[in-house]
Amino acid sequence: MDGDKTQPTPGEWAIMAGGLVLLLGSFLEFGGDESAFFGKGLFPVATLMPLYGLAMGLQVALTKFANVNLPERILGFTWEQIHLVLGIFVALMALFWLVAVEDGGIGVFVELLGAAAACAGAFMIQKERATGAIG
Amino acid sequence: MAESKVTPAGIVILVGGVVVLVGSFLDFYKFGGSIGFSAWSGDPYFPITIIPVLCGLAMALQVGLTSFANVNLPDRVLGLGWNQIHLALGFQAAIMMILWILMDKGGFDMGIGFWLMLLGSIALIVGAFLRDRESAPAA
Repeated sequence: MDGDKTQPTPGEWAIMAGGLVLLLGSFLEFGGDESAFFGKGLFPVATLMPLYGLAMGLQVALTKFANVNLPERILGFTWEQIHLVLGIFVALMALFWLVAVEDGGIGVFVELLGAAAACAGAFMIQKERATGAIG
Repeated sequence: MAESKVTPAGIVILVGGVVVLVGSFLDFYKFGGSIGFSAWSGDPYFPITIIPVLCGLAMALQVGLTSFANVNLPDRVLGLGWNQIHLALGFQAAIMMILWILMDKGGFDMGIGFWLMLLGSIALIVGAFLRDRESAPAA
């Protein structure tokens, strides 16, 4: 995929913001006094959320701002499909962690917010890039 | 009688899905070697523990319905073909179960249910790759 120097679209901004929020949220209190990134009993299962967010945000940022050329497909998936799959899974995991950790701390809610943004962004870029996946 | 359309990859996915489902009702983790909790118990990690089960169920159901019940499902869901959906679900199930091995287990041990779920999840991702190769055009 050729690097793309055009301004990011709203969906791309949502993905980058969601990825950043997921990463930052993973350092906040998440289930007791732990964090999703370093917490005993959480790492590395809960760490999947910031990792998915990071992958999504980095892909958009690298192609938009750093003109990095990435392969057009990974294992037969286009980048739009990868964003959609990762966005759905990160939202599902954030929602389920919210149920799993009672009195989970601010990190749980920040992760949910980031996941919602990343997932929404993944759906938005389907429309913006006219992939035909929705609508 | 209609001939079954189930392929080797489909069999691997069906078996993997059943193994994950059965394992989810057995001990996922145990305290002190005796008190056990299944993936469905309301203890610390539910409902995170059932994500691989949901992935396996979706994959096995799709194979079962299309192979044995002649159900016609849409060719694509959200722009993803069924081979891609199987790859995505299989990857998610397997990566979650594998990461669980690396987790700090504190005072608990993984139970037989966990190991069955891990085994089933690996079968799911293997089945998904086999299915993808089955439908690839011959070189």
